[in-house]
Amino acid sequence: MTKGVVLIANNNGSVDYVKQAMYCAGRVQQYLELPVTLITDSYNYAVEVSGNIFDKIISTDYQESNNSKIYFDGALSHKVVMFKNHSRTVAYYNTPYDQTILMDTDYLISSDILNKCFSMTTDLMMYKDSYDLSNVRDVSEFKYISDKSVDFYWATVVYFEKSKKNDIYFNLIDHIEENWKYYQNMYDINSNLFRNDFAFSIAIHIMSGFTSNNVVSLQLPGKHYYAIDKDILWNIKNENMTFLVHKKKYEGQYTLLSTTGLDVHVMNKFSLERIINNE
Amino acid sequence: MDERLSQALEFSNYITTINNQKRMIKEKYFQSLIYFCQGGQFTITKELITFVTLLVEKGNVENIVLVDDNNTPIGINNLELFLEDILSNYFESSNTYHQQYTELSKKRNIKALVDND
Repeated sequence: MTKGVVLIANNNGSVDYVKQAMYCAGRVQQYLELPVTLITDSYNYAVEVSGNIFDKIISTDYQESNNSKIYFDGALSHKVVMFKNHSRTVAYYNTPYDQTILMDTDYLISSDILNKCFSMTTDLMMYKDSYDLSNVRDVSEFKYISDKSVDFYWATVVYFEKSKKNDIYFNLIDHIEENWKYYQNMYDINSNLFRNDFAFSIAIHIMSGFTSNNVVSLQLPGKHYYAIDKDILWNIKNENMTFLVHKKKYEGQYTLLSTTGLDVHVMNKFSLERIINNE
Repeated sequence: MDERLSQALEFSNYITTINNQKRMIKEKYFQSLIYFCQGGQFTITKELITFVTLLVEKGNVENIVLVDDNNTPIGINNLELFLEDILSNYFESSNTYHQQYTELSKKRNIKALVDND
């Protein structure tokens, strides 16, 4: 059975996801020792800049997106930019591996815990349990997809194998994305923004017989640690990361926090880009 | 600013930061207590250790079913080996946690708390 990681990078003119993917791939190779395939709509650019870091680079069609999102860079600065998060299922249909970990490019690996996926007795895993590094903010938006709706699952990291069940699951996600307006209303989601987390969560709910008794996927090993985009990634040194964590109710004030040996989803893409550029 | 207030605020920042760091090493400790065996995931707790010890002491050592963190029943081929592994993991993780906690408690300023050098 072949094993590997798939990353998706669709540049939007403001954030260089290909560069992020290269950095992410470097850490995957360092801590997980796995090959990494990149799926991108910036194929020529990726080939030109990435050297030998990727096992394979797969080209997808460029698609404009009318999904816009506010990207914060710390608490006091933000930009509204195109959020090209469409067709995440392309990873399922195009993966060159039998056992695949699909990962966001801003998920920074600092441990080997995800390698345990490959010995688990299941064909689909993602995170439900998560941990906000600040530990003081309201995290209800990551518990349920809306106040009156279903459990939230993170599409940030997904382990999958090809199977009949997973064919149905990923086809269903495509269907939800294509009919997003309907599902947005049906699941009482206030935001117009299409999010993969929502589509993955809704698909789990539907396939579990419209119940919260998830029979589709298991929890990935460990927890999903994350820093929101109002936090600032300050420094990375091997498996150590230092953050300025936004103080709740004190705009523009931060407390220091460092992690060691924990994988962290860094949502502040601009601070991550600064770190990458300085390396 | 009044120096008394300034000192109090500095202390407050120090306490916040040291508590953050204590949380992080505790999270790392919890993560290191996850044990994977025969396709199952087991969080090593005092309860698990006690239960497995009891089974082994009663002579139940081969083909024992344990329910893992995902509520999946896992057939464990050799429970003595399982016990040996979880005990070893528990001691190693706890010792590391203790060592990191002690080192952290000795640090008296914010820079030292988050210094990764």
